[in-house]
Amino acid sequence: MDKGCFALPDEDRAFLESLGEADILIGIPSFNNAETIGHVVEAVRIGHARYYPDRQVVLINSDGGSTDGTREVVLPTLERDIPAASLVKKPEKPMRGRSVIYQGIPGKGSAFRAIFEAARVLKAKACAVFDSDLRSITPEWVQLLVAPVLEKGYGYVCPFYRRHKYDGTITNSIAYPLTRALYGRRVRQPIGGDFGFSGELVCRYLQKDVWETDVARFGIDIWMTTTAMVEGFRICQSFMGAKIHDVKDPGADLGPMFEQVVGTIFTLMRENDGKWKSVVGSRPTAIFGFQSEVSPRPLRVDAKRMIRKFEEGFDENRPYYATFLSDDCFSKLSEVREMCPEIADFPKVLWVKTIYNFAARYQVEPDRKRLLGSLIPLYFGYVTSFIRETEAYDDYRAEEVVEELCEIYEDTKPYLLQQWREKGCEG
Amino acid sequence: MEAKRKILAIDDEEDIRFILKEELTDEGYEVHTLGDPTQALDKIEEVQPDLILLDIKMPQLSGIELLGLIRDKYYDLPVILLTAYNSFKRDIASVACDHYVVKSGDLTELKERIKKIFRTRV
Repeated sequence: MDKGCFALPDEDRAFLESLGEADILIGIPSFNNAETIGHVVEAVRIGHARYYPDRQVVLINSDGGSTDGTREVVLPTLERDIPAASLVKKPEKPMRGRSVIYQGIPGKGSAFRAIFEAARVLKAKACAVFDSDLRSITPEWVQLLVAPVLEKGYGYVCPFYRRHKYDGTITNSIAYPLTRALYGRRVRQPIGGDFGFSGELVCRYLQKDVWETDVARFGIDIWMTTTAMVEGFRICQSFMGAKIHDVKDPGADLGPMFEQVVGTIFTLMRENDGKWKSVVGSRPTAIFGFQSEVSPRPLRVDAKRMIRKFEEGFDENRPYYATFLSDDCFSKLSEVREMCPEIADFPKVLWVKTIYNFAARYQVEPDRKRLLGSLIPLYFGYVTSFIRETEAYDDYRAEEVVEELCEIYEDTKPYLLQQWREKGCEG
Repeated sequence: MEAKRKILAIDDEEDIRFILKEELTDEGYEVHTLGDPTQALDKIEEVQPDLILLDIKMPQLSGIELLGLIRDKYYDLPVILLTAYNSFKRDIASVACDHYVVKSGDLTELKERIKKIFRTRV
């Protein structure tokens, strides 16, 4: 195995080598997050002092070349005295830190690769990564992601947040239910952004040749979660409270993120088809943390804009859809289109069959970008229907609708296997 | 002959334990019962069940707390939470169960959930 560093610059590697070994590595990827990253670093420092004062902890900010002064915020925050108001003593072992500019394709995945390489250099036993746009992070988050690894032998820790019912619509309509149906493990936030993992899993990640793909971009989260699942690492979840970050209206521009996340899921299906085909149903995943009644911030959505995007995108892509969607799926989607602008219902089973058609087609499609782009209008159609269905529901009741969708994904899996065969995706 | 699937029902109410034992035995399962949840981990060790039915509201130890202890030791052992109160679904710890069934006189939903688990999990 090549143990060289590719994303971590030489001078940063040398600096880390000079530190010796670390028990815990905290990684914070960033790109133009000067406004919020200071709060994240501060929370991590207090978390270290409160929960792991006698452990050697190193913080790495892996930056994509920010121009807003993000990196200039990190080091001074690390060097400041811990605020007396936080009621924690100075840790026995002070936190060391470094802000690095990663090398490679610009994207979150490359930032993570540099963090993984740093963890390997430091022989870290446990790692945690936190998004740099987090506003709701507390010092406890450090323990929630690190303790299951250090103290209970888990390999991978996923966050479990309270989110507004319209926040995380890619997660709710595709990433969570599809991953659950494929691999049989219920991990509620597989692309949550904040994770804990073991040093052993880091080494496994670095063995993979994926760093020129969408994994180097937004595909990183789902790739990490899926890899942990299929490679048999013990997985758990930690309840982190509400996730408050720079949320976006699901109808706003989501193109690259959508394509990279969904494309990575579909790519992983081909690579792992020997692992998911025989899986039936799903299993729950252990959860840690203390429940508090936290309310996520309400998120306003522009359903009219999404309907318009569905209508326009469907009309534009209609001839293309007809070339690969199964007849039943195509005709039912056309019926939904005819109902516009009042999409009373985009049936869940139709949405699931649509995803399964696209997943199979992706494996043989020469123009994958076009394929994924053409899924976006349909996604808007489904999300609009979800919004209408859950309009009067609180977040808990809306969660039951997501659960219902998950069961349909699981129950419809034989249809996926049929599509997989018919479209010639067998490995 | 295939061995019977073993179910351990943990509920502090004797009547409920009786009904679960009667009905599920009729379905062809080997049913064990336990009234004191604090003895659960020992009982699991002894019985080696294929599935656990777990009441939530018990005086000695709540089913939700017990679920955490079970998950800690038995990572993949199927657990169905049984309760008279739908509101417990809001307890975050309940996500570690396989299914959540609201108690009623009619055990059809519970029986279907059990069948589904045994159909999908070896």
